Amino acid sequence: MASSLVADRAAAAGERRLRGRSLWPAAALAAALIALPILGNDFLAYQVALFLVYGIATQGVALCWGRLGFLPLGHGLFFGLGAYLAGDVLKASAEQPAWLLGLLPAVLLPALLAWVVARLLFARSLRSGPYFSLITLAMTMLGFLAAQQWSGLTGGFNGMGNIPEPSGLERFTTLYWLIAAVAVGTTALLGTLIRRPIGTLWSAIAQNEDRMQLFGYATDKLKADAYGLSALLAALAGALFAAHQGIVTPQAMSFVLSTEFVIWAAVGGKASPLGALLGAVLVGYASSELRDHFASWEIFIGLLFIAVVRFLPEGLAGLSARRSRGQAVPASNALVEATTAPPARAPKQVPGLEFNDVRCTRGGVRILGGLSFSLQGPGIRAVIGPNGAGKTSAFNVMTGRLPATGGRIRLADQDITGWPAWRVARLGVGRKMQVPSVFPELTVRQNLSVAVWAGRLHGLAALQRAPHGWQTSLRGEMMEWFPELSQSLDSPAGQLSQGHRQALEFAMTVLPEPHLLLLDEPCAGLSPAETHRMIDVIQRAVQRLGAGALLIEHDLAAVAALRGDVYVFHQGHLLAQGPLQNLQSDPAVREVYAGARK
Amino acid sequence: MDRRLLIQSAAAAATLGAWPLARAAGTTKVAVMIPQSGPAGLFGPSAKACAELAAETINARGGLLGQKIELLFGDAGLAPAEASQAVLKLWKGSGATAVIGMHDSAVRGALVGLFKGQVPYFYTPVYEGGECAKGTYVNGETPQQQLQPVIPWIASERKPKKWYMIGNDYIWGRNTNAAAKGYIEKTGAQVVGDEYLPFTVDNFDASLARIRDSGADAVLVSLVGGASVGFNKAFASFGLADKALRLGTLIEENTLAGIGAANAKNLYSSAGYFANVTTPAATAFASAYAKRFGPQAPALNGLAESAYEGFLMMEAIAKKAGSLSAAKLDAACEGASYNGPRGAVTMKARHVEQDVYVADVTDKGFRVVKTFSRVSSGQTCKV
Amino acid sequence: MDGGTLLHGLNLIYELATLALTTLGLAVVFGLLGVMNMAHGEFVMLGAYSVVAVQQWGLPTLVAFPLAIVVCSALGWVVERWLIRPLYARPFDTLLATWALAMLMRKVVEAIWGKGFRNVEDALTVAMPIGNTAYPAYRLGLIALAVVLIGALFLWYRRTNTGLRVRAMVGNPTLAQALGIDTRKLASRTFIVGVVLAGVSGVMLAPLIRIEPNIGVDYLLDAFFVLVVGGLGTLAGLAGGVGIIGGAQALVSSMAGQTNGYATVLIISILFLWLRPDGIFSRR
Repeated sequence: MASSLVADRAAAAGERRLRGRSLWPAAALAAALIALPILGNDFLAYQVALFLVYGIATQGVALCWGRLGFLPLGHGLFFGLGAYLAGDVLKASAEQPAWLLGLLPAVLLPALLAWVVARLLFARSLRSGPYFSLITLAMTMLGFLAAQQWSGLTGGFNGMGNIPEPSGLERFTTLYWLIAAVAVGTTALLGTLIRRPIGTLWSAIAQNEDRMQLFGYATDKLKADAYGLSALLAALAGALFAAHQGIVTPQAMSFVLSTEFVIWAAVGGKASPLGALLGAVLVGYASSELRDHFASWEIFIGLLFIAVVRFLPEGLAGLSARRSRGQAVPASNALVEATTAPPARAPKQVPGLEFNDVRCTRGGVRILGGLSFSLQGPGIRAVIGPNGAGKTSAFNVMTGRLPATGGRIRLADQDITGWPAWRVARLGVGRKMQVPSVFPELTVRQNLSVAVWAGRLHGLAALQRAPHGWQTSLRGEMMEWFPELSQSLDSPAGQLSQGHRQALEFAMTVLPEPHLLLLDEPCAGLSPAETHRMIDVIQRAVQRLGAGALLIEHDLAAVAALRGDVYVFHQGHLLAQGPLQNLQSDPAVREVYAGARK
Repeated sequence: MDRRLLIQSAAAAATLGAWPLARAAGTTKVAVMIPQSGPAGLFGPSAKACAELAAETINARGGLLGQKIELLFGDAGLAPAEASQAVLKLWKGSGATAVIGMHDSAVRGALVGLFKGQVPYFYTPVYEGGECAKGTYVNGETPQQQLQPVIPWIASERKPKKWYMIGNDYIWGRNTNAAAKGYIEKTGAQVVGDEYLPFTVDNFDASLARIRDSGADAVLVSLVGGASVGFNKAFASFGLADKALRLGTLIEENTLAGIGAANAKNLYSSAGYFANVTTPAATAFASAYAKRFGPQAPALNGLAESAYEGFLMMEAIAKKAGSLSAAKLDAACEGASYNGPRGAVTMKARHVEQDVYVADVTDKGFRVVKTFSRVSSGQTCKV
Repeated sequence: MDGGTLLHGLNLIYELATLALTTLGLAVVFGLLGVMNMAHGEFVMLGAYSVVAVQQWGLPTLVAFPLAIVVCSALGWVVERWLIRPLYARPFDTLLATWALAMLMRKVVEAIWGKGFRNVEDALTVAMPIGNTAYPAYRLGLIALAVVLIGALFLWYRRTNTGLRVRAMVGNPTLAQALGIDTRKLASRTFIVGVVLAGVSGVMLAPLIRIEPNIGVDYLLDAFFVLVVGGLGTLAGLAGGVGIIGGAQALVSSMAGQTNGYATVLIISILFLWLRPDGIFSRR
């Protein structure tokens, strides 16, 4: 009793330390910003305030790029929109102070625009890569053209001038405090979010978006939400810019400014909110000082930038972090109190699966040539067949990785042909990939958490600390069946051996408690002993969940041990189906396996 | 609104007064804002040279109200936000008591909003007109100044019947063309086209085809920088230089170098200064410049020289007012005058009455073919 | 055909030819190697400055071709070896590294030649009579050269052994390596070919364009949009992209002004990037 009390107190102290740790960057920043006008002077504070404003927008860019892995090349658009809208509001508020309330929509509208655009873009294509960057770039250029053309609205080339400060604040003295407070606030907010489940999810999306989709996470919505947040930061910065400068010109919406955000994020550290902010302040401020003394300061900036990209991907913040490469997300959430997770929302029956003459042709190769089979009820079925028979492709076509060119697939009485992976997963499907697909830079504990959260984490729960400690009985059982996982909970998953990674991925596949498992060669690369244990675990898990499973396997001994129905695939269609002994005496099957039939 | 402005500026002045000011005894610090980067950056070296020459010349005659001028340079080629920061550093950080600005109108807008009339601000380059802020003194050419005597003269010399106007799509281009329209129609000619292009355009073929189709025999070119270069080169390459004359109000030596003298047949430029002006004052200035900066000096051009004029204007008004305080300068500026490389220059309504030169192009560069004396700026600011 | 229509037609062909010419280098580097070379426009700029240098030194203008080829090859080799090759697997970092390279190239050129405009003369830029109108002879020559260059590139890619090896490498790099093709060297050579094409286009365009250190960005963006719309890795893609982007811009510009013309290019590119990121004719 006493010892558990002590343990509780230790845990509580650990939690307080944990809470403190997530806020130390913001606290350090606050201290520095308070000291600045005292140790320096108001003029210095005024100058630094401009770069703090840029830094807030840079934090938005760093959020998307450093955390989620896609690079917005056009954040100037939202910065400029926020600036122009706030400029209008501030000018109106000089006559009528009630207009100050307009600052809220001034900042929210650009964020909303960003969110809508991102929803449209990400829903279309999983590849959020450089094409997304080019789209944001083109949009900013359009905005720049509009800002110059529509001079009735924006003042055109000469800009929107005579913008007053918000009433009560004075541009050269007290406005600094507002800007500093906002900068500390955004740093604290981002630092906190990173340590909450949403931060882990963001990191996971950057590392392996396919896997996230297979868990049922609508990654396009998550990315769009993050992009909207980053645009909100940019628009907020733009509003502060309008108040600070008193004039907004099309330069505030330009491609050049957008690339400066990217450069500052790269140099300061794109994975660290404080790093991104300081990148803008230090590099921006240094540039403005250097500019007066060096004619070719830009050559220096260019060289610095090249050096950072080549040798310091985490920027200057990466230099100071004692974090190993494998801890993209702080792993201190081990100290969160363990609680029982809410029940999984996946459906509790095995969804019936039916392939109806499914065809798939790609680049002249016929991958699936009229595949038809069905599956009802719990139990493990094996799928066997020579290489190129279309086994993995059948899984791919089910989970949205391969487009079907003909036929229909039904799952749980719904036509799921062409559905994206996450929608299929939400019907209670779990898939384990041929090459173990985990989140290499997250720890094993974090990998498992992401799996536990799948189908359980909703809305605001992603912002709370509690889900870090969710436990389920199935998770406990996985830890027992795979003791090597419980020994390496704090190692990055990328450092695991092949065997351990297969174990981890299998554990992750079952933790959302799906009722139809698609297992693609789970024993690939395992020793005979490991294979035996894996088959054992699979059987127990399937029984425990009451699930149905399709297991692609080459090892006929393992297939025999499963004692379920077997489907034989050949050249993209179903050749035979039934218990293994029947198939072993089926002449067609024997021809295929003996090589007599092509 | 004015009252609020007054309170605001008083408050700003009071708090800014608390900032540390470095003041060396016996010198007056003058902030010089010239473009050292960006699209206008090519004017930086020449403008800087002219500013330095101006300070040395004035210092040689005893300085500004007995005090030696010390120059502080800031980069006005940046975005207006950054340019404001730069000038603030010179004004409040280093104690400049006057500002000479040779930069674009966007930066001017930002600076005017920043200064709020507290520090005398001399804006020197050719621009679109309309600046009437307190404490601002403009000695650049305005469209009215450059066109009002020139268009009728061209009409009498070359008798064009149809004018085509083309300009960059921003306030200077539009204001220039708008002013020109009136003058053109007064000469009895017809305006057959009025077209505006964004800065980024590189290909003028469509516009040139339209110019050819319209049968225009005169073209008003209100393009700047690279657009002017590209347009004029293409114009000549299509053989249009023989079919139509061109008149431009911002074609200075650098732009001409880009266009190439061979492509500048029948091209007229109207400006307050050319490096090749042969008046005694201008030649003296040119040789003083060459002597001071040697054979590798950055090429003299109208925009750079305007910075020199700004210093002369500052000296003239300061002498008349007996002080460099913003209020006293404002009271004394009307009617202040001096003689400089451009000739006799008098301040009227915050702008200047000055001589306007029209030049065409030979293989040696610009050649002044007509001079108009004491042309009014056409602006109506209240002082 | 009356003079006006002939002139409009020639103008359109010239615009398309120039667009194709300046896109060609990026079509090789981005279309075949998948490298987003943000310094592409700066190589074009280097080509133009080669002519400036050659005329400054009093040498015959044609010397600019070998000069540009040598300079771009050398720089291309260095860049591929030390900047691109280590970053092949990181597309964003390649984008940023080449953007920084572009900044550097601009500043170095600025340091040597200053920020001002340069002009290069060519006797052939005068108008010569064609049909009912007059058209600069140099432009006609440029159109012809563009067609020849694109044709030569196509033949090289489709008919020569090196072209075959490049196709193998592009289609399946691992298999190509297994077959004994030195993909590293081949990638390096392909990159060099790409940037040399950019430089050569700059040499050809020099008498017709404004020349100053910052002209690169516009060529870069236009080239990207053409490739995105037309599709990467195929000649039909290049032609399609040039046709759509160039044609749309010309059409809208003639009706509604150049700003709207450029806005149209941006909108078309956004739509393609969103709805058809592989472009019209893609290798895939």
